[in-house]
Amino acid sequence: MTEAGFLTKTMWLAAKDLRIEMRARDTLAPMLGFAATVALVLAFALPEASSANDAVVAYVQAGFMWVTVLFAGLIGFGRTFEVERAEGALDSLLLVPVDRSALFVSKALSNLAFIVVLETVLLPLTALLFAYDLGGSWGALVAVVALVDLGFVAVGTLYAALAAQTRSRELLLPLLALPALVPVFIAALELTADLLLGAGFDALPARGWFGILVAFDVVFVTAGAVLFDAVLD
Amino acid sequence: MATASELRPRRAGLDALGAAAWTSVAAALLLVFFVAREADVSMGGQLQRIFYFHVPSAWIAYLSFAIVFLASIAYLRTGAGRWDLLAHAAAEIGIVFTTLVLITGPIWARPVWGTWWQWDARLTSTLVLWLTYVGYLFLRSLASDEATVGRLAAVVGIVGFLDVPIVHFSVQWWRTLHPSGPTVANPTTGSGLGAPELTAFFASLLAFTLLFCWLLSLRLRIGRLAQRVELEEIERAAAETR
Repeated sequence: MTEAGFLTKTMWLAAKDLRIEMRARDTLAPMLGFAATVALVLAFALPEASSANDAVVAYVQAGFMWVTVLFAGLIGFGRTFEVERAEGALDSLLLVPVDRSALFVSKALSNLAFIVVLETVLLPLTALLFAYDLGGSWGALVAVVALVDLGFVAVGTLYAALAAQTRSRELLLPLLALPALVPVFIAALELTADLLLGAGFDALPARGWFGILVAFDVVFVTAGAVLFDAVLD
Repeated sequence: MATASELRPRRAGLDALGAAAWTSVAAALLLVFFVAREADVSMGGQLQRIFYFHVPSAWIAYLSFAIVFLASIAYLRTGAGRWDLLAHAAAEIGIVFTTLVLITGPIWARPVWGTWWQWDARLTSTLVLWLTYVGYLFLRSLASDEATVGRLAAVVGIVGFLDVPIVHFSVQWWRTLHPSGPTVANPTTGSGLGAPELTAFFASLLAFTLLFCWLLSLRLRIGRLAQRVELEEIERAAAETR
């Protein structure tokens, strides 16, 4: 194990998390259920399609989608560290001879896997429930989702590890992460709304937001990898 | 370590820094209320003078959080407790000034915009800033373990500050794309700022800066005394067990 490279160790750790989850099944399934109930509750707040203009409806739908992903995702991130903490496995994990940034990447990867599965179910589901029509823009949406997820997972993983070492961790994680994620959320909203309004990938008026997403992702993936050491000492 | 002179009862009154701070506050108040001219009615008339408190508060808030950022980095690199204390102190004071921004803004806005709050770029990013550091303080009080508090808080102090420019820019851009409400009047844009007004503004900024330094020095002193008290209690407990 000590001779294995950074990448190997990282993948091994991520695979371990996913294996645990597949056996225990206590994070992903409830996360999906929770996301569905959030979508349900939000449905009552949807403006009538007839009374509001297209742009308003597009923003509200994009908002619902991303709020749901955000809340379900944060709960899921909290859970992945809860698993370690409950079993006292966090200390054992720290004994593994691996760079802390590898630990960060592996945790972030397994969180990313959770989020991707969540979105794979949630996006078509909300498209159905809220009757939005992406036409041929699903590919563009995947690109948006990928960039948003990177930033989301970077901040979420770092802060989840942090919150796991406090009291009231379920409250502290959203309290810390949501303000930090504001730029990502706005960008996600803008890009998704434009796609819902029928803009193709090339004609995406909001495509400047990709710049914000890339900047955010670079800064916070780096910060996460560097600072994870301080979080887990 | 606290020195003996810090533990001696102080004579009542202000030290040099405190005296300078409050003198400059007095001077600034004079300039703001008697030298700066009344602004246009569309900017709120006399109420526009609140901008001499509102803007410096915002600048000092950003200064505080920059100090939190640098002190957090220093703490993670050196592990020296005084950096942790500095970060904590600066965060507390920064929140006070940010709260002042969030209070003085709506006070001006209600008569001028007709509404207490509006999701304009500046107010929104200030709220995000406030929430970020409120989270920092909650983290400090909710950490399960004394030993880890400093480290965890330092991470938030660093990440939070890195986010400030990105949040600011995103929110501003979002607001330009989707303008809302009567945001035309803004107390800081071209409201006939001549020499008297600029003088009053810089006097106010100086006063706020000195106030900040004075408050920081007080808070640091309290923190050092608290550390000293804790150390003495540990020593006493250790002595008792012998």
